[in-house]
Amino acid sequence: MSSSSAHTGRDKEKDLNTHIESFLAQMKRRQIKGPHDVALATAQLLLRVVSAARWTHIDQLITQIKVVGKRLQSAQPRELTCGNIVRRVLALIREEAEDTDDSESGDGASNSLLITSMFSLLQTDFDKESSRESSPGEKKDLKPYIIEGIQELIDELRNSSESIAGKSVEMIHENETILTATPNSNTVLKFLLRAAQKRKFTVLIAEVFPNDIEMAHRFAMKLSEAGIEATVITDAMVYSIMGRVGKVILGTCAVLANGGLLATAGSEMICQCANAHRTPVVVCTGIYKLSPMYPFDTESLVEVGDTGKVLNFEEGNLVEKVDVVNPLFDYVPPELVDIYITNLGGFSPSFMYRLVLDNYRQEDVKL
Amino acid sequence: MSAFIESFDIVATYRKFLKDDPAMTMPVAAIEALVVLLSKTSLSTASELIDILAKAVQELKGGVKNSISLSAGCDMFQRFVLRNIQEYGDWEACKQHLVTNGGLFLKRAKESRFKIAELGLSFIRDDDTILIHSHSRAVTELLLLAARRHVRFSVFVTESRPTGEGRVTAKTLREHGIPVRVIADGAVGYVIQKVDKVFVGAEGVAESGGIINRIGTYQIAVLAKDANKPVYVVVESHKFVRLFPLSPFDIPDDNPASTTFSTDPDLPDEDYDEVLHNSPLLDFTSDNLITALITDIGVLTSNGVSEELIKMWY
Repeated sequence: MSSSSAHTGRDKEKDLNTHIESFLAQMKRRQIKGPHDVALATAQLLLRVVSAARWTHIDQLITQIKVVGKRLQSAQPRELTCGNIVRRVLALIREEAEDTDDSESGDGASNSLLITSMFSLLQTDFDKESSRESSPGEKKDLKPYIIEGIQELIDELRNSSESIAGKSVEMIHENETILTATPNSNTVLKFLLRAAQKRKFTVLIAEVFPNDIEMAHRFAMKLSEAGIEATVITDAMVYSIMGRVGKVILGTCAVLANGGLLATAGSEMICQCANAHRTPVVVCTGIYKLSPMYPFDTESLVEVGDTGKVLNFEEGNLVEKVDVVNPLFDYVPPELVDIYITNLGGFSPSFMYRLVLDNYRQEDVKL
Repeated sequence: MSAFIESFDIVATYRKFLKDDPAMTMPVAAIEALVVLLSKTSLSTASELIDILAKAVQELKGGVKNSISLSAGCDMFQRFVLRNIQEYGDWEACKQHLVTNGGLFLKRAKESRFKIAELGLSFIRDDDTILIHSHSRAVTELLLLAARRHVRFSVFVTESRPTGEGRVTAKTLREHGIPVRVIADGAVGYVIQKVDKVFVGAEGVAESGGIINRIGTYQIAVLAKDANKPVYVVVESHKFVRLFPLSPFDIPDDNPASTTFSTDPDLPDEDYDEVLHNSPLLDFTSDNLITALITDIGVLTSNGVSEELIKMWY
């Protein structure tokens, strides 16, 4: 009996490892890409990891998840959503652990004493340790709660663009001209399509040469099928047309802790143009794209793509003498954005730090 | 009881702490001095304790110039004692606990500087040119760590008159192999184009996220903003203070003579003495000029500061 359960235990582990390895391989080969897909796949993988994991103290689970999370994040280092989901799960686990601690010890007062950074100067290690030791009780009990939490996270991921689209009618006026520069964003597409059900407006789509031209065209087609007047414009036209634009609506790949954005290349220029004309910039993003990382060095965050798209390799003469770069992303500083529409509501960029505090733990920022 | 308190010179104790350990910051020294006071008193009621503390804090604040970070430390300590009295009810145990952990506060405060250095390390890249102002132990610690980790960067330091502390910083950095150039305070506008980022320390961080620091910081911040260079403030979180200055003159001025004029042509040693004796030593830099604060609780934007303060003070 015990040997077969040990056998299945080992099998489960092997199974899990295979899953992790195949996920890593898919990430590295970019078979899974784009923030939404990566987030969903990461969440589902972590669900498996938690289901298969065994622990006597909650810290062991946390360490296990951190180890796996670090490997996942390094498979696609510039896809920040992977790390975000890992940190969300860790925050979830810590919350569940603390809830049980509180209810067990009964004396909520000393546990709920706000151990802020400054008071930690004045509090001894003894206090902290004693609150840890008071939880040798029910460990296994937490697993169903944690799994439930992760399921809720997966549901949130699936429904985030729906909740965001729900706010579109308030944001877009009748007969307004909207400019969008991120045609690869599904969120923005849903946002605009939902608004089209109630309003009539025009959309200008920046072409985003050279990486997303096809997507821009497909975006325009989908919009026109829904009865919205859609026009594809070249990137160079943006400034001259900005005077007639009512709003700029962008999607993004990641939102950083200071309220800045990591969006498709070209977004920063468009935001600067919008700023010059005092045009509001609206960013539609799910909370799962919010990363607790601060952009220390904006250059290292930007991924660089195929230079052949900018200057064809066949033009040998030029290619030898000219340095060509094709960045895939842009860092947009928080001052250029007016509002973030998320699945939790609308927020200003200066409020992002609060959302980071609410959803992530400081201990988890470094995986 | 009161006889003892009179004979216990809190300001002297505080100064001794500062003198004995140059790495100690003002607020920590203040807390240490207050803890010593606590250990030497034997009171029987909590309200007596609060009273004694308040008097001692008053004395400290009055006896020390530029007492903003000192106020921060004192207020924090008072708040902590009050909280503990309410929570534990048994302040004797609490007092015992505070006294026996005197050394721990100091250790933690020192460690916070290392934590900050680790956090801020990613801000410094190879080939960076950094501008720093005057002498800040937190900034120096950060730069030294970067040098130890083999990051190659060069530093401009402002001479920082009237105290001339910039030279001290330059010497320390050069001893560790960092290329440094000391510049006149007036030359900041000239070199700012060549600089990649600016690091400054802080005496105190106001509720708005603005900082109080050595005179000259405000100027540098304005120039950096105009030249589009980021300004990072490197500061320990125990320096957050409950002040909300709306203008530079809202912070307690240690040198009121600085904004008076004189028509006396025979003022002594006009060139340097007049500046030295009449210059304010601190100024206020508002939060819109600051890119981020690097603290031991993480990298914060200006809004994050008020969040931390609210957590502590409800």
